[in-house]
Amino acid sequence: MRAAVAPQADDLILSVREVKKHYPIREGALQRVVGHVRAVDGVSFDIRRGETVGLVGESGCGKTTLGRVIAALADPTDGGVHYSMDGEMRRIDRLEGKAAQTFRRNCQMVFQDSFASLNPRHLVIDLVGRPLKVYNEAASADLVERVVELLEQVGLGRQHLFRYPHQFSGGQRQRISIARALALNPEIIVLDEPTSALDVSVQAQILNLLNDLQKERNLAYLFVTHDLSVVRHMADRLVVMYLGKVAEAGETQAIFDSPHHPYTRELMAAKPDLEAEANVEIRGLEGTVPDPARPPQGCRFHTRCELATSACGWEVDDVIRWLEDAPGMFEHLVGVERTTEFAAELAFDNEDAAGLLSMAVRSEQVPETMRAAMRRLNLDGTKVEIEFEEVGEVELTVRDDGRMAACVLAPQEVASWKSP
Amino acid sequence: MLDERHCAAPVASVRDLKVHFQSKRGIVHAVDGVSFDIRDGETLGLVGETGCGKSVTGRSFLRLLPVPPCILAGGSVTFHTHVVCKACAGVGCEACDGTGRQAGWDRSVDLLGISSEDMRRIRGDRIAMIFQDPGKALNPTLPIGAQIAEVFLQHRTEELIALAGLPPDTVGAIRRFASQSPRFGDGWLLSLPGPRRAQRQRVEESLAKMVADALAETQVPNPGKLMARYPHELSGGMRQRVMIAQALACNPDLLIADEPTTALDVTVEARILELIRNLQQRRKTSVLYISHDLSLVRRISDRVAVMYAGRIVEIGTTAEVFANPRHPYTRGLMAAVPGADTPRGKLAAIRGTVPELVDPPAACRFAGRCPHETGTCRSNDPVLEAITPSHSVACFIDHPAQSGERPTYERVTK
Repeated sequence: MRAAVAPQADDLILSVREVKKHYPIREGALQRVVGHVRAVDGVSFDIRRGETVGLVGESGCGKTTLGRVIAALADPTDGGVHYSMDGEMRRIDRLEGKAAQTFRRNCQMVFQDSFASLNPRHLVIDLVGRPLKVYNEAASADLVERVVELLEQVGLGRQHLFRYPHQFSGGQRQRISIARALALNPEIIVLDEPTSALDVSVQAQILNLLNDLQKERNLAYLFVTHDLSVVRHMADRLVVMYLGKVAEAGETQAIFDSPHHPYTRELMAAKPDLEAEANVEIRGLEGTVPDPARPPQGCRFHTRCELATSACGWEVDDVIRWLEDAPGMFEHLVGVERTTEFAAELAFDNEDAAGLLSMAVRSEQVPETMRAAMRRLNLDGTKVEIEFEEVGEVELTVRDDGRMAACVLAPQEVASWKSP
Repeated sequence: MLDERHCAAPVASVRDLKVHFQSKRGIVHAVDGVSFDIRDGETLGLVGETGCGKSVTGRSFLRLLPVPPCILAGGSVTFHTHVVCKACAGVGCEACDGTGRQAGWDRSVDLLGISSEDMRRIRGDRIAMIFQDPGKALNPTLPIGAQIAEVFLQHRTEELIALAGLPPDTVGAIRRFASQSPRFGDGWLLSLPGPRRAQRQRVEESLAKMVADALAETQVPNPGKLMARYPHELSGGMRQRVMIAQALACNPDLLIADEPTTALDVTVEARILELIRNLQQRRKTSVLYISHDLSLVRRISDRVAVMYAGRIVEIGTTAEVFANPRHPYTRGLMAAVPGADTPRGKLAAIRGTVPELVDPPAACRFAGRCPHETGTCRSNDPVLEAITPSHSVACFIDHPAQSGERPTYERVTK
């Protein structure tokens, strides 16, 4: 698969290739592995020197996990993150010794919760000076001066050296985190929701600071956030994630001008900004993010997408999800025998319930496109046999100007669609 | 959104409310002289940064603040209840002069002065609250149905008994059971099998019906099934819907929503907002909507009050405040939100941080962070004064002090 964002070889510093991170689900006395939560499920993109890549999505879409994999705080299950070192790309989870150290000092992370990420029992000088000590960069009087220099860069000063984290406000604590990340003069900083715990006025201060630092030091940022107005302001390029996969990627401005994926569109419609007309209708998404241990077939967004077509991957799980919400039906379901993800035999404890289901899936009660995707529906006593069109996973495809989107619809269809 | 005839009548009026907290460093003036009205059927948005006292204001309506450390230092929160006109069910007819209320049934109470039993009667019945984090506000050890049933057991006992066809003398027993202090002998409702069993079943059935109806209002799929679930089994959005169902179960006159969507994703947030707005319009509930998010408040509220450091600095209709913000703090907040055309690195941040509210001096609370401050701001305390009939601001730019230099928007202090 191609990278979500095309690289320019010379100034590439990090390239993420087909990264997967699966967490095992263990059950029972023997802690047998019964499944995997697919937090990140095949993501590729590149980060170039001095640019900001925004990573957006709802909670539970795997954006934080991906950030941690990139900062080498978690090892990928499959695929790898490649870091440009001495002119060649090297996989970060296979680095050893000196090379591993070089990567670690060049890739730093700023966490969302500055209460949790700063040790409450350490003074600011220890917190910010620790990386310098560990890498033998400075000691004693020199160390104090270096720390003061760093603090001044983030808008704090010498008077803050011997204070504890709890003596600072949220914005100041985030500044300390940024100073600590800057200590070893890194090339890239992973910012995991750095401003979501802050008020807007303080958020503006931090965003300005991050921007100044980037200009000064030619830093690359991976900006993980759920706030679209922040990401539009900060990011050069954008990667929109949904349920462990990239839904859309490309230049920030281009994506905001015309989203190619319905999910991106919905995200934007959910939060119009202050400049928009006061009467712009706000729209939200129905339902919740599906279980990442059993991601939907075809396009992962089809369960919530209002533009879904019959080719988007309707499957047996969609019928079961519908049954769960239908009053007085799910209780009668006694067994589901799947032959594939797309075909199964649903057994009920009485004929009425089975009859009701076979009626319902033929009627207006289920989406029209779901009915269109149904290949076979057989009512046999208490059993209902159901089969859908088999659809492969919807892959990211390249659109013009390096845009990528994973949607079966053409961009014009996404753009022209209006909510009924 | 708002009928003309309702405009005059407030459902609650806060006058010079002062809520202080004891701390090691002294008395913190968290809310320091706040006055506003919530009109009948309107949504009042209360915005401000962390620590400006907006949640404390909201909680003081229901007296949910622990005393001590909280000190109710002064002022009043007057709550006006009314009885809906029986002839027209609140729509407005000749019998009630178009007000939709039964004449002579209006009552006012000072929520800060009444006994805790009276407060209990109002809490959850006439005034309800939705909290920020539904994960914390719902009881993790009780199924959803039981938590909503509690509201009905507490406030709708007569209705419940009538529905179940029980003798009226059981009201006390059910109510005591609901308040979790059952007397000896009340146990029949719970445990004893035998002749009372049918009665108990009838109560349970009626209760389940009322709960299912309340849940169905919030558009949850399959309310019957949801009732048996525990909060941890639900998603954040679903939990917030349960909270809303619980809060609106008794059809309150006033709903206090304290950042109800802050813990949710934007996509879910939009749905919840829509739900609150629909329910509010249908039931004519007044809402105090507390939030730090300006764009959100703009969308949901009829009027906006901007709080800063325990004071209201600007209040007015949403259209006026957003089209013509007068207070430098309101202007600062709006400019700090990144917009489509803001050049990178040029966000207008408000310098400094919120001041500590321990023994604040008699000066404008925003002096020190304000880009337009003068000597006047540091030595005088501005009061909230009207600039148009529906827009007031507390700033010397619009209401110059008797003496001293007048600040202007043109003059920017470094």
